[in-house]
Amino acid sequence: MTNIELIENGEERVVKKFQETRKTSPLNPKLASINEKALKRFETLKFPHRKHEMFSFVDTKDLASTDFQYRYGPESPLNPELLKDFIYPESRDSVIVIVDGRYDTALSNTSRLDKTIELKSLDEAIGDAELNNYLLDTVDREEDVFASLNGAFLRDGLMIHVLSNSQIERPLQILHVSTGSKGSPVTTVPRVIVKLENDTKLDLIIQSIGIDGNYFLNSIQDFILDKSATLNLVQWQSDPNNSWFFSKSWITLSEDSQFKSTTASNGNRLTRHHYHVRMTGEKADLSLNGISVLCDQEQVHNYVRVHHEAPDCRSDQLFKNIIQDEGRSSIDTTVIVHEGAQLTESHQLINNLLLSDDGVADTKPNLMIYADDVKCDHGATIGQISEDQLFYLKSRGLAEDEAKTLLTSSFANTVLQEIDCPSLKARLKETLLNKLGVKDV
Amino acid sequence: MLEINNLRAGFEGSEILKGISLTVNKGEVHSIMGPNGSGKSTLSKILVGHPSYEVMSGTITYEGKDLLELEAEERAQAGLFLAYQYPVEIPGVNNAEFLRMAYNAKLKKEGKEEVDPLDFDDILNEKMKLLGMDQKYRERSVNDGFSGGEKKKNEILQMAILQPKLTILDEIDSGLDIDALRVVANGINKLVNKDSALIIITHFPRLLEYIEPDYVHVLSEGRIVTSGDKSLAHDLEARGYDHLLAKV
Repeated sequence: MTNIELIENGEERVVKKFQETRKTSPLNPKLASINEKALKRFETLKFPHRKHEMFSFVDTKDLASTDFQYRYGPESPLNPELLKDFIYPESRDSVIVIVDGRYDTALSNTSRLDKTIELKSLDEAIGDAELNNYLLDTVDREEDVFASLNGAFLRDGLMIHVLSNSQIERPLQILHVSTGSKGSPVTTVPRVIVKLENDTKLDLIIQSIGIDGNYFLNSIQDFILDKSATLNLVQWQSDPNNSWFFSKSWITLSEDSQFKSTTASNGNRLTRHHYHVRMTGEKADLSLNGISVLCDQEQVHNYVRVHHEAPDCRSDQLFKNIIQDEGRSSIDTTVIVHEGAQLTESHQLINNLLLSDDGVADTKPNLMIYADDVKCDHGATIGQISEDQLFYLKSRGLAEDEAKTLLTSSFANTVLQEIDCPSLKARLKETLLNKLGVKDV
Repeated sequence: MLEINNLRAGFEGSEILKGISLTVNKGEVHSIMGPNGSGKSTLSKILVGHPSYEVMSGTITYEGKDLLELEAEERAQAGLFLAYQYPVEIPGVNNAEFLRMAYNAKLKKEGKEEVDPLDFDDILNEKMKLLGMDQKYRERSVNDGFSGGEKKKNEILQMAILQPKLTILDEIDSGLDIDALRVVANGINKLVNKDSALIIITHFPRLLEYIEPDYVHVLSEGRIVTSGDKSLAHDLEARGYDHLLAKV
């Protein structure tokens, strides 16, 4: 079968699966209009063929041609012991566990959350017309075919709502657990909506882990920041390497809001982060950082679109990749400065550290500017360890291996040092550097 | 301590040093002066074993050993230290941690026990005080975003911590204002003793008012054209290189 046939068969299979699922185990009736609209969107968008603009560096043939079983919640209850290493002391009593796309209240501990944060399932929250319209609107505007699959098969999700004038002191953690499969591959479609009302602050940690592998976690997350809201987000993709991970983030930033995010990725068969950012209010501030450390044939891809729609906003992007063996990464990022978005300031920087001859790093920073009074720049580097830095350290008595270790960890540290949560930062450093056989100093 | 014999060396195949001989003994301060492009920095890079520079012929003996046989890190561990003209910035590497690693590499070589961050803190504090360095430079990345003057102070801080036997200062005075120069020079003076030696590479004689050399050598077009005591430096200050080079 040719690639095109494989992909077209995949599309037919998705539509058939949708119809079957509706017959045998109906999806949530309250979300039916979203499901149907999203399936239509899927049929219009179709799985990407070669040279699709949005997937120019990502080969998704594998995903399109695999017959995934849709799963919502685990087949058998999960042993809480499995999770205890992944819950950070700082968020012990404010942790939300989502297992195979379903919010698991028994495994979660939200005892510290008071009435300033509302947690609701989508099933409960969808009665709100504003939310319903928002969700339908994202389905309409969806350009990412995999995110449209999330919408088509969505059964429920979680809404985290921070009420105005609340500063949440300690971090809230979301832990996505995928039980995976020892048999045929499975997929889950979690959706988490985080809304911060006026004058709020939240630190949020989102981590994904898996048990058996052989799964495709295909999530959508929404971050809606009202006036003067601040969100500090740390994400960690730490799924096993026989899994696939896609996440689509819709980020909407109002006046004076601040969104700061650091995403660390271990990589796997295919990880893709898609950020769609709209800066709709003046003086909004975005900081999007990413670090991935790739070994063997692991892949991590980032696709970023930042829309400066209002004047006087600032966006900073810093993406770093450390690649060894046959690892593969790409960053495709475009900042669009809309007409009237004067005094925009925007910086994009991509640094790749290639530690092998067979690694691949694609970079495509891009700017589209429709205003005349702006300050924008972008840059990208691909290189090995700097000979000058290496020599400097050796000339101070450090052995070559020791110096290389120090320089490799320092490359990652410039991103990781932005993380506030100490235990998470320590764990991240240790895990990522261990992958390279390097110890932190 | 150091004996350079008829050294010919260069960069990417072109010969820059055209037969240099120089002997430095314990307790001595030598100054190598000369106009831009005379080969001063090449000499310093050759001494510390920079891989981009090549030795074509001649020998260098350091403490009885063939220096050219040693790797850069072995030279450092044997007590050779170069304070760079342009110190390299290393973002993401904490300065205090880097200094501790360098210090421990030396202790390890000497067969001594390595120090932990707490004990090292005391050592670092004392040396930073000596150079009038702000505490903030311990937590920042190595030379990253440092002003020219702070980078030079950071070089001397490394010298203070590693206590080398033979120190080469490559244009340590460039980028320093007069007050910073005085602080740095005083620091260096406190660090040299009868068992160590110093080679000062500079093209401005001003530094030599603060650190007095026993010998002054003038390098031109890859050769030492004249040597003398510190009065040679005064002569240069008054009349310039052209006058001197025209004479020889």
